[in-house]
Amino acid sequence: MTEALLELRGLTVDFATDDGVVHAVDGLDLALGRGRTLGLVGESGCGKSVTSLAIMGLLPPENSMVGGQVMFEGRDLLSLDAHLIRDLRGARLAMIFQEPMTSLNPAYTIGDQIIEAIQRHQGLDNAAARARAIEVLKLVRISVPEKRVDDYPHKLSGGMRQRAMIAMALACGPQLLIADEPTTALDVTIQAQILDLMRALRRDTGTAIILITHDLGVVAEMADDVAVMYAGQIVERAAVRDLFARPEHPYTVGLLGSIPRLDERRERLPSIEGRVPDMTRPPAGCRFAARCPFVEPECRAAPPQLIEVAPGHLSRCRRAPLSQVAA
Amino acid sequence: MSGPLLEVQGLAKHFPVRQGAFGRLSGHVRAVDGVDFHLNAGETLAIVGESGCGKSTVGRLVLRLLEPTGGSVRFEGQDLLALPDSQMRAQRRRMQIIFQDPYASLNPRMTVGAMLSEPLMLHRLAPSDAARRTRVGELLELVGLRPEHARRYPHEFSGGQRQRLAIARALAVEPQLIVADEPVSALDVSIQAQVINLMRSLQARFGLAYVFISHDLAVVKHIADRIAVMYLGKIVETAATDELFRNPRHPYTRALLSAVPLPDPTVVRERALLEGDIPSAMNPPPGCRFHTRCRFARESCRVDAPLLADDGTGHSTACPWWPELPPAPSLVEDRADDQDRIRLARLQAAFVTSQMEAT
Repeated sequence: MTEALLELRGLTVDFATDDGVVHAVDGLDLALGRGRTLGLVGESGCGKSVTSLAIMGLLPPENSMVGGQVMFEGRDLLSLDAHLIRDLRGARLAMIFQEPMTSLNPAYTIGDQIIEAIQRHQGLDNAAARARAIEVLKLVRISVPEKRVDDYPHKLSGGMRQRAMIAMALACGPQLLIADEPTTALDVTIQAQILDLMRALRRDTGTAIILITHDLGVVAEMADDVAVMYAGQIVERAAVRDLFARPEHPYTVGLLGSIPRLDERRERLPSIEGRVPDMTRPPAGCRFAARCPFVEPECRAAPPQLIEVAPGHLSRCRRAPLSQVAA
Repeated sequence: MSGPLLEVQGLAKHFPVRQGAFGRLSGHVRAVDGVDFHLNAGETLAIVGESGCGKSTVGRLVLRLLEPTGGSVRFEGQDLLALPDSQMRAQRRRMQIIFQDPYASLNPRMTVGAMLSEPLMLHRLAPSDAARRTRVGELLELVGLRPEHARRYPHEFSGGQRQRLAIARALAVEPQLIVADEPVSALDVSIQAQVINLMRSLQARFGLAYVFISHDLAVVKHIADRIAVMYLGKIVETAATDELFRNPRHPYTRALLSAVPLPDPTVVRERALLEGDIPSAMNPPPGCRFHTRCRFARESCRVDAPLLADDGTGHSTACPWWPELPPAPSLVEDRADDQDRIRLARLQAAFVTSQMEAT
């Protein structure tokens, strides 16, 4: 196995709140190889977006504490000087967000914003940077890019804005792209266009992608590997086909069951009753125990470890492999 | 059977667009532009489409929360648009609405008990304080909450619980019709399933009719009896749910279905990607409104506006050319029940069982 592009070692993120310390991310270990796409899946509050912000060094230092290591191309980003991180961010690693309107500056043309990134990292002169900006807009299939480059964000539709965001992220040829719910705010026909675009770009540039989403359909289409998060921890990790065919954590089983599907119709959707635990006081044992139909008294006693239950397939459930449970 | 519960004909809403300092009228957004449908008692009609297609406006027009520009809305045979305000208020008891965002649609300063008592008092449905308290407790239990929750405020509840509260408030006046506008879109999937299940069981119990407005075809598949697909202010196709998924006819319906990502990494699908964005409803394209994005468009589509034509079985399509289009790729694959599927089905059954025990 070659060296991973990105490796998280025991990543923790705590937030100080009025109600106490929230352990948003709790001991995350994760490796991502070059050119791979990892789907990071979970529901609101599971810590998936916080993880990505921690990797990018974008968490507010006033109230958040980040621990562990974020190894990127052999260097720990958490112990790097701020100016070195700024050199990496936007150049070697880039991020796109759910709502492009809040991440684009409304006072500048999209061209200005892309050119700024190019000049900051690549030191091109004005004309060359502008040419490169038009080139990347063309790459994300924006029509008449030489005209659009001078448009302000509000002139663009939602789909076009997300393309412009992707153009900006890709302008400097990053090794790693973190896409946080990149299509959640878009209509489904526009989502299909953007996913298609991301697939083509990945093929052409070899950029590794962390795709953060709650949509298992998007994950099934895009990811090579999947990590499922629940209450700040990874509860399951596997190659995408294994995860969908033979999920080994009860939460994944329930999640797969509760999605309404186009290709099936069921009388009653299996749903996961109850709600996620209070992350200021996470339970001592398994965090999913209160909602798990397979729970045993031992599950509540000690926290389960993330262990390999089949080749390359990790589960944080002491009852896994679940084949015996299903028998 | 004495006719449909709700019958909508030629419904239209054109919003004026004003520009400049003097509010000069510069045009109209034709948000809803001639929509026909009906809904029987106890049935669910889903209205699906993408942002800006007019589906939410239809929901508000039906309840007269917005005044239509044209058309008629008949509820139990009575034309709602002809009713004076006082009679319309009385009719509102029979029809309720649930919104997408349960955080914005509940008054943060009212306890749950006060919120649920209000409609009971307004419509004089519970004669005494004691009767009201009992009824509030009943309503909370109906939606899977507890009577003692009446003392709490909305912020003490999660998103899914708030949507249950919104449903309880709608049920308080014993309506026959509920318009649900994206009721599960803001919820996490596991919570979404809880609310969909709840809505279905309440429907079976009280014979409710739903107009279920959604952008999510997969959700709609699990709750609707019939589906109407909207594009730029018009219905382009209506059919019974199973029929629509099995035999989508309109090119837009097909594109919509093929754009939904399936949660199955083994499926490789041929994609009919739509190019471009939805045109502005201020200047909808002439002829068929979909022709600018339709890969089957012909010359005549740019000129002639197609009618929504019923084929005699209740499947209507606003495309005269559909019989000549290539067959739509099948969505439902006949998958063999291999070991993995059996295993997964068994594991998932445990979630359904525990859910029954919980309610």
